[in-house]
Amino acid sequence: MTPFKLQIITPEKTVFDGETEQIVVRTTVGDVGILNGHEPYCAALGIGQMRVMMDGEFRHAATSGGIIKVSHEKTTILVQTCEWSDEIDVTRANAAKEAAEGRIKAAQSDNELRLAEAKLKHALNRIDTAGFGK
Amino acid sequence: MKDIKRRIKSVGSTRQITKAMELVSSSKLRKAKMRAEQARPYFNELYKSLCEIASANTDLSTIFTVKREVKHRLFIVIAGDRGLAGGYNSNVLKLAASAHAGDAEKPKIIAIGKKAIEYFDKREYDIVASYAGIAENIKPNLAQDIADIAIEMFRSGEVDDVQIFYTMFVSSITQEAQQMAMLPMETVKLENYGTMNYDPSPEAVFNRIIPRFTASLIQCAVVEAYASEQGARRTAMENATDNADAMTESLSLLYNRARQASITTEIIDIVSGASAQE
Repeated sequence: MTPFKLQIITPEKTVFDGETEQIVVRTTVGDVGILNGHEPYCAALGIGQMRVMMDGEFRHAATSGGIIKVSHEKTTILVQTCEWSDEIDVTRANAAKEAAEGRIKAAQSDNELRLAEAKLKHALNRIDTAGFGK
Repeated sequence: MKDIKRRIKSVGSTRQITKAMELVSSSKLRKAKMRAEQARPYFNELYKSLCEIASANTDLSTIFTVKREVKHRLFIVIAGDRGLAGGYNSNVLKLAASAHAGDAEKPKIIAIGKKAIEYFDKREYDIVASYAGIAENIKPNLAQDIADIAIEMFRSGEVDDVQIFYTMFVSSITQEAQQMAMLPMETVKLENYGTMNYDPSPEAVFNRIIPRFTASLIQCAVVEAYASEQGARRTAMENATDNADAMTESLSLLYNRARQASITTEIIDIVSGASAQE
């Protein structure tokens, strides 16, 4: 497969800036795969997994909320957070999951419930993604 | 003579403090500058995407881009947590105060930094939210929280205009207080944007980006303001140290003169005493 340029940027730093052969991201409407020569495309990303292929092997990452933008020159992924599967702290994710579950039970308002659910989803996503770590 | 000696000592210990603060600030400044640089690409890319969508869809008019008649305003003001930074705090606070000089009512305030909170609290502004001690290490999630408050107020019509006040980091020695319009959003029409397929629709993506963009705007402003604060403090402390050095010098000159004078008088006393005995 022909490699193409990819940049992954979060508010804190540039996570990845290099070449990849294929990426699969979870947009708000479903999983989308991008190969070299993809038409210009822009979509919103939800909380989910992202796969980036390098040297024929997928690297998994947990991302939360952002956008993906594909242009002829390069692909840019702008996300709130992005953690590679081998960088995820599973004990912390588990603690976050339990804390979120507790808050769902104790939630007083819709807003609190929504926030706690988003936190839980994020924690579960990180735990799932960590499973792909080497 | 004793007085002068005491003053030299006190100036000396003050100098030690200012020198230490100068060193601390310059190391913090280095870190802050790096963070400001790392935060920028995300912000720039987001802004570019927004402008691309706005350029491609001339009829795109979401609630966030349409200007309304301004009745109520929201100011997000970023100042430092500590003083002793020259004009850093007062400049940005004064700018915020003068920005609503002609308005019928005081704006609502989101205050970031202890100095901003104190300032607006004392003048009885309506403070919607306040954050202290966050500037050194602001997390994207917190920036998002602040942005969400502003967006919600704007969406519900509680305010018609959101401005952000912070200090722009021009260089290590120059910092400038700045005012920036956050909402409604201003987009620049790009000449050369090319066609793009939006999934599911440009509006959906646009609405999705807005909260991220405002959060990123706040994040960048806070990080930049923090770098400015350190820069301002470093310069202020450097001046203070220099002043202390100059003061010690003139005081020791004074002290030596006084010492000389007292020795001379003593010698005269002894000599005149001895000659009187002869």
